[in-house]
Amino acid sequence: MKPGLAIQPWGNYSLALAASVECLRVEPWTQRSTTPETLRLGVEASPEFACLSFKACTGHFIKAAQEGVRYGVMVNSRGTCRLRYYREIQQKILKERGLDLYVFGLGYDGIKPPLIRHFDPDLLPFLQCCARAQQKTLAVDALEKEAWRVRAVERQPGDATRVLNECLADLDRARTVPEIRACARTFKPRFRNVPLDEARLPLRIGLLGEATLLRDRFLNHNLEEILGGLGAEVRNFFLLGDEMRNIFRIGLFSRNSRWRLKRLARPYLEHLVGGHALDSVAHALRCAQEGYDGIVHVAPAGCMPEVSVRPILRRLSQDLDLPVLECSFDEHASHVGVVTRLEAFVSMLRERQENKTRTRK
Amino acid sequence: MNGSFYLGIDVGSISANLVLIDAGAQVVFADYRRVDGHPLRAAQTALAALQAACPQATIAGIGATGSARHLVAAALGADIVKNEISAHACAAIHVQPDVQTVIEIGGQDSKVTIVRDRVVVDFAMNLLCAAGTGSFLDAQAQRLNLSIEEFSRQAVRSARPTGIAGRCTVFAESDMIHKQQIGHRQEDIVMGLCLAMARNFLGNVCVGKEIRPPVVFQGGVSANQGMRRAFAELLKCEPIVPEHHMVMGALGAALLAKRAAPEASRFRGFDVCERAIDTQAFTCGDCANECEVIEIVDRGEIVGRSGGRCRKWEGRAGPR
Repeated sequence: MKPGLAIQPWGNYSLALAASVECLRVEPWTQRSTTPETLRLGVEASPEFACLSFKACTGHFIKAAQEGVRYGVMVNSRGTCRLRYYREIQQKILKERGLDLYVFGLGYDGIKPPLIRHFDPDLLPFLQCCARAQQKTLAVDALEKEAWRVRAVERQPGDATRVLNECLADLDRARTVPEIRACARTFKPRFRNVPLDEARLPLRIGLLGEATLLRDRFLNHNLEEILGGLGAEVRNFFLLGDEMRNIFRIGLFSRNSRWRLKRLARPYLEHLVGGHALDSVAHALRCAQEGYDGIVHVAPAGCMPEVSVRPILRRLSQDLDLPVLECSFDEHASHVGVVTRLEAFVSMLRERQENKTRTRK
Repeated sequence: MNGSFYLGIDVGSISANLVLIDAGAQVVFADYRRVDGHPLRAAQTALAALQAACPQATIAGIGATGSARHLVAAALGADIVKNEISAHACAAIHVQPDVQTVIEIGGQDSKVTIVRDRVVVDFAMNLLCAAGTGSFLDAQAQRLNLSIEEFSRQAVRSARPTGIAGRCTVFAESDMIHKQQIGHRQEDIVMGLCLAMARNFLGNVCVGKEIRPPVVFQGGVSANQGMRRAFAELLKCEPIVPEHHMVMGALGAALLAKRAAPEASRFRGFDVCERAIDTQAFTCGDCANECEVIEIVDRGEIVGRSGGRCRKWEGRAGPR
């Protein structure tokens, strides 16, 4: 039997990440979002003041270890918030609980990261797997974008999410690069079958902030679905496809390259402050340039990088007349409270939108 | 009583409020009562009180708001369901058209809404902490063995308010006990608590917001004379407390129902207040969240649903 490898849950990208480890001759173990059970396990085991993303990931590894998985992998690259030490702390927590799961860190760590060194895959299957994972990531990106657009104007609430889930199930089954590409080509026609309410004018809302929370539907209380249901077309600014291009330095001239983002954010923030905080500032400025109606800034309670850019976002919001809603989440966040704030935010944006069109006439 | 009337109902954590307005948006009937753990029953009792007071009123539209809005909307048959932030702002703008800032403090929520030219431009709500809300004052009044009304009367009499640490409810309480023990007068402590709470509100919820007069102060806590005085001192302007300050959420919901002007109201009739409306739960298995969804059952028929993390069950009636 192949040994199991638990992969950090990362929303719908989990299936792309699972595809990337096949060449290591392991059985990927992952979930598309945190579940109430894994969060409970994580909260019990983690320090009280650790962030929600840490707790969710720890719980995920505990659950995996309980199911007999031997290895785990999580991001711990240099320079990103306290995440840098999170792998070590998680490893200690697992050990103290008598759980035998070794967590590999995935970040810059020499030419051959420890994960690759340990499993030592052959070169050709390794490259094939990387290509597959990249194709699946891009397919997920495309799928998300379709879902955001359709959800805001669908006639029957839940249609876009249903189609999204069907597409993801098919994408998960696709094995080779041509299969993945063929599958991705079916997405647009499938969404075209969803009955739309053409008369509705969707609001445009940018979602930015911490990556795990932006992507985990359970942790962010289904933010995308709630806003979509209220008639807002969201754009979630964490897209793994863009992020990968940055990591591998192949997209130096792409819109979202680190260099571009830095230049964009410069009037407000000149230095990296960890995590995706600089990206948040840059994307907020981009939202203003592109005429978005509002921004929802998402962060776990106590997230060091994101909390440090909040005052900047407030300034930016005043300067550019762009409303920003700050949402902090921890395991105690009440769902009713989240929904109330989002509803109030959307109705405020609606009023502004109506006023603008009135004055234009 | 003739003509069409609009009903607003606001069921929150502590109180259930009901307001009836006429076609000219004048308040005809208002009711405030504590929920005491039974939101649906409180709404039904409030409706029964309305029926007793104005038996001939024809309801042309209902608006529901408050944290139990979906439950109440399904049970009574509301035409419009709106969040309490928007409803409160709508009512404040209606009674005070030149309002710039709305402070609303309820049982467990405290909010500030910034209004410019009759349009909401910004808002904030307390997060991760309820130190500045009605429940806090309730708890402290209980500790001093005062009714909340007596608490309010004492606060106004204070000449030299005691300084009390207001960052956290528990620490405020221990600080208060300490001040009692070193001999501060009770009325000064009571006023000190009000000031601490107002300072906490202005420092936490209103951070980064530009508070301009006229300020409208509403919600359950606005009935407290001490809190009115505290805001007047800290903001250096007298807050306007509207006539119906206790039921502004319900008034807002009624105004929104009137604005929506439904052709035929979905109101299910006054006899809903006598029926035993039941709820049942089921677990939706459509995704890994496994949310618990509540079905509202009236005479064996599912009249609505509430709960769940995505919105697909919200308000949906009929079989699953």
